Amino acid sequence: MSAQAGKWKEEQILVICPGSHTTMACYGCSELAPPTHRFPTRMFRDEETGEWRPNHTEKRRKLNGSSHGAEGQEEWEYIEDPDSTDGATYPIQGGRITNMDAFLAFLEHVHQSLTTTYHNTPIMLMASPQWTRPDCEEIARYIFEQTRTPALCLIHSGIATQYGLKWPNLTVVDVGFQKVDVTCIYDSRVVSHKDVGASDALAVAEGEEISGGEVFTRKLLGLLEDKGFTYEMAEQLKKSNVCEVLPYVPDSEKLMDLPEEAPGAEKAAEAAPKAEVAADDDAAAAGESKLVDEEGVLNVAELVVSGQAKEFLAKKEKEKAAKAAKKGKEKEAAEAAAKSRLPNSRKAKNIFHYEEVVQEEIPPEEVTPAKENGQAPANGDAPKDGDAPKDADAPKDGEAPKDEDEQSKPETTSEDTKPAAESATTPAEPAKPSLPVIRNKRIRRDIEVGLERFLFADRAEIDRISTAIYRAVQSIDDMYMRPPCWENLVFVGNGARIRGLRDNIIQTLNARHLISPSTATIFTSELPSNLGTPSGTGSQTPTGSYIGAGPPHQLGPSSGVNPLLQAATTSNMGVPGSVIGGGAPGTPGGQTPGGDAAVTNGSHHFHSQTPTQIKLATLPTYLSEWTKNGFEEAMFLGAQVAARLAFCVHNLDAQGVESQRLMSLSRVDFNELGPKGIRSHSMLA
Amino acid sequence: MAQQQPLSSTVQPTDVYGGDEVSALVLDPGYYNTRAGFAGEDVPRQVIPSFYGHIEGRDLFGDEVIIPRAGYEVRNYMNRDSVVEDWDAATKAWEHVLVRRLQPERQTPPSKNGLNDETDGDVVMDDGAGAEMEERPLSENPLLMTEAPWNSAKAREKAIEVVMENWACPAFWLSRTPVLASFAAGKATALVVDVGGANTSVTAVHDGMMLKRSVQKSPAGGLWLSGQIRSMWETNEPKVDIVPSFMVENKKPVEAGAPADYRPKKFDFPITDSFRLFEEERVLTEFKESVVEVWRGPAKFTESQQYIANQPGRVFEMPNGSNQMWKEQRYKVSEGMWDESAAFPPPTAPGLDIPSLAKNQTIPALIKACLDGVDVDLKPNLLGNVVVTGSTSLLNGFNDRLNNELQAAYPGVRIKIHAAGLTSERRFGAWIGGSILASLGTFHQMWISRKEYEENGPGIVEKRCK
Repeated sequence: MSAQAGKWKEEQILVICPGSHTTMACYGCSELAPPTHRFPTRMFRDEETGEWRPNHTEKRRKLNGSSHGAEGQEEWEYIEDPDSTDGATYPIQGGRITNMDAFLAFLEHVHQSLTTTYHNTPIMLMASPQWTRPDCEEIARYIFEQTRTPALCLIHSGIATQYGLKWPNLTVVDVGFQKVDVTCIYDSRVVSHKDVGASDALAVAEGEEISGGEVFTRKLLGLLEDKGFTYEMAEQLKKSNVCEVLPYVPDSEKLMDLPEEAPGAEKAAEAAPKAEVAADDDAAAAGESKLVDEEGVLNVAELVVSGQAKEFLAKKEKEKAAKAAKKGKEKEAAEAAAKSRLPNSRKAKNIFHYEEVVQEEIPPEEVTPAKENGQAPANGDAPKDGDAPKDADAPKDGEAPKDEDEQSKPETTSEDTKPAAESATTPAEPAKPSLPVIRNKRIRRDIEVGLERFLFADRAEIDRISTAIYRAVQSIDDMYMRPPCWENLVFVGNGARIRGLRDNIIQTLNARHLISPSTATIFTSELPSNLGTPSGTGSQTPTGSYIGAGPPHQLGPSSGVNPLLQAATTSNMGVPGSVIGGGAPGTPGGQTPGGDAAVTNGSHHFHSQTPTQIKLATLPTYLSEWTKNGFEEAMFLGAQVAARLAFCVHNLDAQGVESQRLMSLSRVDFNELGPKGIRSHSMLA
Repeated sequence: MAQQQPLSSTVQPTDVYGGDEVSALVLDPGYYNTRAGFAGEDVPRQVIPSFYGHIEGRDLFGDEVIIPRAGYEVRNYMNRDSVVEDWDAATKAWEHVLVRRLQPERQTPPSKNGLNDETDGDVVMDDGAGAEMEERPLSENPLLMTEAPWNSAKAREKAIEVVMENWACPAFWLSRTPVLASFAAGKATALVVDVGGANTSVTAVHDGMMLKRSVQKSPAGGLWLSGQIRSMWETNEPKVDIVPSFMVENKKPVEAGAPADYRPKKFDFPITDSFRLFEEERVLTEFKESVVEVWRGPAKFTESQQYIANQPGRVFEMPNGSNQMWKEQRYKVSEGMWDESAAFPPPTAPGLDIPSLAKNQTIPALIKACLDGVDVDLKPNLLGNVVVTGSTSLLNGFNDRLNNELQAAYPGVRIKIHAAGLTSERRFGAWIGGSILASLGTFHQMWISRKEYEENGPGIVEKRCK
């Protein structure tokens, strides 16, 4: 293949990182930016056609006077509800593909949402370690047979993380939705892997425990259920910053230092009921008083719709000032201020802001509520075509579904300002008086939570994760690979965003497994067995040594090119790290993995006990967007970097071309090899 | 975009897409681990302990599930002869690796996948189309399985039965571990020294065939070595207690030889002995990896003890933090493999049941017996192709010692030891050999097809897999 023939532009590449819960995707990898799109990984089966739809779809009778309403009452419409999870199929569970049909349909949906063309859009798809070989082949077959995609690259999620973080040796701990993966990577090869979580759906049915972020939500829910918490509330609480895993305290009874309960502890009990303020049901009578519910939360959507924004805001300001003045006199305020200065971990109680979207259907007076119609038995001549929902929902709900889609992103962090901005778009679309209007109310409640927000840190789960890490690293076959893996731990996956979790795990590992230098060896000149002997193991990770190691890459330094990229493009692609390792003669990195190392390997006499050091890997700082976003999603960054390497880099030497060819499966290769080509033409291990 | 390029003449034409694509599986059950993966790959994808958890009538497989639970027993479906003992559990274990781990998840109907809240997840899986699917999970994968050289005819028949009846494999083949290990080393004729988990075997392989009369085995493997370490710790002054890491919440550094200062983890249920033994084995493994060494010779160990005692030793820190320097003892534990008189007496702890080695069970004795069982003309050829495999052979200094022993026993003969340098190749020697064999184009000429099995019954395995 001539160097330029099969190359694509960076803007044309589709990067998809599917997760059990959320799938990250973006079109184009020139920016190396955090994912532009997030999709909930779920599909809905259409009962009538058996097809898969991305959203829950409800059929109901179309009403008179609608834009298509020529035939009157007998017409049906399909309402898509992007928030509903009713009847959802989750194609990936605990990392495993449990429903391939749905998964492929989901890929199709993601693809369509991002781009319309296939023929020049190579796909970079991240694979969980749990995907089986037949799974990968099935995906390859589908993509090449059903679409016109020119090339597909499957990348192991651990390897993807490694590409994102540039270190050749890493232990990637991926805390996912319902599973935790520990992948040890040495010299860009997966050398050990353990996963925690139920082994499959059958095991879940048999009562095996899941793992990952979900465990914490469930635990939190279990603790707070009595106080009227719902799953959604627990989930939000977990993500809020009042919820944190306290540092590991080796000597304390509970292994953490809980803040002292404040004297007025009983108040906590009252707090929850106080929050039980629901949205007003009869919001149709849009009285000004109703715009603010008792908690002082603005019903912005309604406000904007009713067009009284200005007056209202002015009034509101006045009220606020008055209130503040009143409060100022009270002593409480001072106390509260003092209290609020304490860090969250020292407060027995803290308040978290729970936001929920309440959907309201406001029936126009002259029309009977749609729900009743929906239950009407007639279904014979309803339009059943697959495209119905798209047509139908556009004029009805207007912007609403889109807005919701954005709002329902689970990872959005500080959204305080967003609702206002979003609902501001609604007036642009004139409300049709004759139709039921579905309105989303964003309600914010302040809920006080007690110590539960620390106690949810389930020791059993943390132990499971740390044990998995310990066993994964210690079961690396070649002992000299263990120290570098211990010294470069990285936590990814959005489950790892829980405050304090990663620190706690590191502290736990340190307190439990660290091998300390022994006094027995202090007076001997020899190095003790439990210290890393200087055997060229790469334990001294060459920090920063590759920056500027070669000529600046053609992609330019401005784009923050991963140094791996340079290394990989200049030499053996499959083993990007080998370039770095090969710099010092005699290091293991210089050897060909899997080759006839029988001769060369005799030089490794590394028999020391590990770990003597447990450290987090340093995260790169040159990608400010990612620093902001957090490197929990580093695998997405890595997938983008890998996509560039696999699809966009040209002007390689012969060796580079060959290894690049093996990074992804092109259509040419697929035609030659068939789906099994993905076994060798991918970045799966 | 990508354009079709003409194939250059140097590239061999690849097989036709959609052609007779064989996706053979290789299963290598051993005493410690069960290894499974796809033929043609260089390491097994799945390595699970042959030990499994048994709790409330259920069996759980995989390393991840071996965690402390109430009433949790750890069992092994293999016996110490590396032959299947419990066929029910073996079937489940193999199904776990071959079907549940290596094959895509079957699309269980929503009523059965336990994910729908409204249905009871514990429904018995026995209805309709789903069950049919369950019955034929490996209908596209021929299976190559390994067996110990001394496997019984009955066990072999049982193996083919399990494979054919349970997963509907289209073809089956049973191969002996030494043959495969020699394959992995790229040799058709070899003297295979397999120092494994529960056994050490020495077998002569000639032209890809195992010479039955040459097969020698003894318990001088990993388990026996663990027993030696236990004995050494029992008799050590002060006595070394094995506290497996699952019992340690955290530890503090202490001086060498000082009592451990650690906080034990509390369990509000009793820990079964079998679980504890399994976990202790992890500590012993670590000790073997980092401390135990084989005295290389050529001077006898018993005569060199004084010298070794003056050499710097190695420190081992137990999971509970206590640590000690080990000097000549770290050689002594492995010395019994070569010289039975140097061994420690077997450990006294209950439930272990580890024998002591007899004079004819040491590795040099096994090799001698093996070579005595083959044609004299073959000896030089075998000694020039000694293949060392098995995890326990990874002990530091093992190969040097073996070489010295052989030089001393067979002076004047060219001795060449072939031991894979990569740890994984040594650990999974037989599996890798199986992977090579099953990926050969000729594999389908040798395997026992489903049809043959149906015509002849399980007895065919005795006739065909010699």
